[in-house]
Amino acid sequence: MATDSARPWTCPFCPLLCDGFALARDGGRYALQGSDCPRAAAALARFDDAAAAQARPQVDGKPVDLDAALAAAAALLAASRQPLIAGLGTDVDGARALYPLACATGAITDAAGGEAFLHGLRALQDRGAFTTTLAEVRNRADLIVCFGGTPREAQPEIWRRVGIGETLVAQREIVFVGAPTDPALDGLPGVTQGSIALAGDLFDTVSLLAARVAQRRIAVPPELDALAGRLRDARYAVLVWEAARLPAHGTLIVEALNQIVGDLNRHTRAALLPFGAGAGPATANQVYAWMSGLPLRSRPGPLGLEHEPLLYDAQALLAAGDVDALLWVASFGDETPRPERALPTVVLGGPGVVAPAQGVFIPVTTPGIGAPGHLFRTDGVVMLPLEPVREDGLPGVAQVARALAERIHASRRQAAA
Amino acid sequence: MSTLRIRGGRVIDPTNAVNAVRDVGVRDGRIVDLHPQDKVDREIDASGCVVMAGGVDLHSHIGGGKVNLARMLLPEDHRLNRDPIPLPTNPLELASCGHCAPGTLATGYRYAEMGYTAAFEPAMLHANARHAHMEMGDVPILDHGAYVMLGSDELMLQMLSRNEDFQHIRDYVAWTIHAAKALGVKVVNPGGISAFKFNQRKLDVDEEHVHWHVTPRRIVHTLAKALHELGVPHPLHIHGSNLGVAGNIESTLATIDALEGLPAHLTHIQFHAYGTEGPKKFSSAAQRLAEVVNANPNVSLDVGQIMFGQTITASGDTMRQHANADLATPRKWIGADIECDAGCGVVPFRYREQSFVNALQWAIGLEIFLLVKDPWRVVLTTDHPNGGPFTSYPHLIRLLMDKSFRDEQFAKLHPDVAAQSLLPSITRELSLDEIAIMTRSGPARLLGLKDRGHLGSGAAADIAVYREDGNRETMFTAPDHVFKDGVEVASAGRILATPTGGTHFVEPAYDRGIEKRLARYSDESLAVHYRHAMIGHDELCRCSNGGRLLPAACFATGAN
Repeated sequence: MATDSARPWTCPFCPLLCDGFALARDGGRYALQGSDCPRAAAALARFDDAAAAQARPQVDGKPVDLDAALAAAAALLAASRQPLIAGLGTDVDGARALYPLACATGAITDAAGGEAFLHGLRALQDRGAFTTTLAEVRNRADLIVCFGGTPREAQPEIWRRVGIGETLVAQREIVFVGAPTDPALDGLPGVTQGSIALAGDLFDTVSLLAARVAQRRIAVPPELDALAGRLRDARYAVLVWEAARLPAHGTLIVEALNQIVGDLNRHTRAALLPFGAGAGPATANQVYAWMSGLPLRSRPGPLGLEHEPLLYDAQALLAAGDVDALLWVASFGDETPRPERALPTVVLGGPGVVAPAQGVFIPVTTPGIGAPGHLFRTDGVVMLPLEPVREDGLPGVAQVARALAERIHASRRQAAA
Repeated sequence: MSTLRIRGGRVIDPTNAVNAVRDVGVRDGRIVDLHPQDKVDREIDASGCVVMAGGVDLHSHIGGGKVNLARMLLPEDHRLNRDPIPLPTNPLELASCGHCAPGTLATGYRYAEMGYTAAFEPAMLHANARHAHMEMGDVPILDHGAYVMLGSDELMLQMLSRNEDFQHIRDYVAWTIHAAKALGVKVVNPGGISAFKFNQRKLDVDEEHVHWHVTPRRIVHTLAKALHELGVPHPLHIHGSNLGVAGNIESTLATIDALEGLPAHLTHIQFHAYGTEGPKKFSSAAQRLAEVVNANPNVSLDVGQIMFGQTITASGDTMRQHANADLATPRKWIGADIECDAGCGVVPFRYREQSFVNALQWAIGLEIFLLVKDPWRVVLTTDHPNGGPFTSYPHLIRLLMDKSFRDEQFAKLHPDVAAQSLLPSITRELSLDEIAIMTRSGPARLLGLKDRGHLGSGAAADIAVYREDGNRETMFTAPDHVFKDGVEVASAGRILATPTGGTHFVEPAYDRGIEKRLARYSDESLAVHYRHAMIGHDELCRCSNGGRLLPAACFATGAN
């Protein structure tokens, strides 16, 4: 296979959507240039043009043509009394087509890491939020406080993306609460970092910090007290939290962080920078919200358009057997493990996604590799276009979802006639 | 080829000075003069009906980041108390719900049912432009477009503070319109969104931005001049300084003064027309405003009428939304600082008849409608959803057309308002012609849409056929027939077709030499690669769901 010169590329594999690096193709394999991001490297390692050319739809483990796979998948979903659409590894176009399919089937839709995703959504619904975006952090943040760990682990390019070590902000302090300092920050000009131990668990720590930021008289460890003071003195403090790091009931932590930001904003400036549960689910959440008015964990049910943030939890529904069919969407690959349940399953998968032994597998193209697309960046404001780097001839999630909805409508019309 | 004759209705078409019983002909989506003997595919008996062009809402938050945040913030807006909103019975509709923050699908359906065929998102951030176009593309039926926000972006402020060549700034304005695929430019609390990021809490028209040392007066004048010289049909869309602040009439008049005769559109002006008189130091300045607007033909406005009940306010004005956040009902709100570009604030709010301030706001809005003489310069809006949802337009139209109904409503208000408002003494009742001007002909003209907002030969066949009714609220709620580009899309409150609307935008000429400078700035200060700054035609088409691209022509100007 030909070696292409590297071309500008937008990486769809983490919520930073880095668009400043290049992608090289060599012998049908891919490599990022300009960054040694391990997350991108791991994701790209799954892509192999030769393997993509071999990808075939399957029904019950046997290769079939696309038409037969679509027929089987449509029949499976149409027969379901309560289907679940989950995974949501897709882009705007995919989500735009999944919502009408949810309407056609009465499906519940939830994200892949549903619980982590919920921390942010529930906190937003209960109290709101004050957030910032990458360019604002780059230009303003003089104090960045990360809760539970360094965001670099899951978003390896984060520090470069927000300009840490650049001269836009002469002096920055980065503090890790309940986690060690980040060696990647060592020696960067104008950057100091520190680490603060938890006072109790993360709930306690954040609550104590919130109390001291609000200048309530309460005994807290001196280093936490000092952090509250530095937050109050900062010109623009940014509080970073990551959905995947929060424990059960993490919503309470997010609310407390939001409270801190709210108190600070009465006198100085501060904002949250959240990292959610992946660009695909975050994008699907936005699309569902704008089309229907309601976010994920909703269904067009017999009583109406229902949003049940606690009940419509994909993991819980599967565990309790409350759904009888699963449409699993993973067009970016197998980053999110599919729950192993014995129920009729349709999988729309990118490379590395294993076909279910029972059910339908339809290989789909990956936005940003085999097809154009759009995803939201972690801040929920910037939406970036994804540029394809190859033609793989595979259908996209949108195309498959539309075909399924059409077949289901057609079979109903036939049944009614 | 398909033809249609709408026979025997009272055609009210102010653009063409028509108010007469006559037929309207349509061929292939366009208005045509049909001979009475011409055979048509369909004929509609419109006797007893009023026939107008489709409604055009030039200021309605229908799509984009803050609208979606509003939806996510208020799940309670998307249910009926404890029950879910029932699914649509019409198979043409997908489930979509919400009262003040409806889904895009519901937005399209409900607008079309009222006879509207176009709506414009007034506050699109360049940083959020793709998202805004996506949402508008998912508003079915309606044509749409958006005004891109400038004037609190760090680059514009930097250019002004360094006294850079006006031509560079003008090129930057034109480039931004291209990049975001906008129909116009909106300035929001000029400089103030940025100032709030530097912890400044107030910015009067002649006060300096704490960091860039630029005044709102300069920002407004520069932007208005740039758009004028670029020949952009819609003049600068201004959300002024000090929104909602008692006494803000002074900054509003100072903003008009800053224009020095340049054309501009003052939006949701009701929120900017407050005095400080009376026992509560909050009073109507509608009369002062109307006098100045009547004397300054360069200025147009939309009202941003408030409607009583629950709504949500979604604005780019982070500074003022933060100041109002403690009034949030229910008590929650969202704010954001965005990409050195702008910001947003989303605050739920319930306007109450028994609140002196809210009741007076209601009266001020109506006073402005009735005291400004030239209906071509007043557009009917509630600043959806900030003053109230767009679905309250029929009620608002009745308030404007029916003095006795207005008096009835006024009697329900906080008793102290009677002493503070001119409203009871205003006898003017708007005519159907005036309503047609304020809801379609005027806004289409203000946006430079030559083939919309009227029923002259060659115009797009966007048509609403309203059954005459003495109760104007009933009349304007669910017209008998609504056509979009000649296709019947709604009838008596039922959706009949859901075509994808088109996107209106402008592409003013500019010196591409500016791009090097912008690329450097992007690289040094922003967080998106410069190659992604510009939305191309193909991408716009993808974003807007394959709808038609409708570039509007710029005026010929001496500047290019």
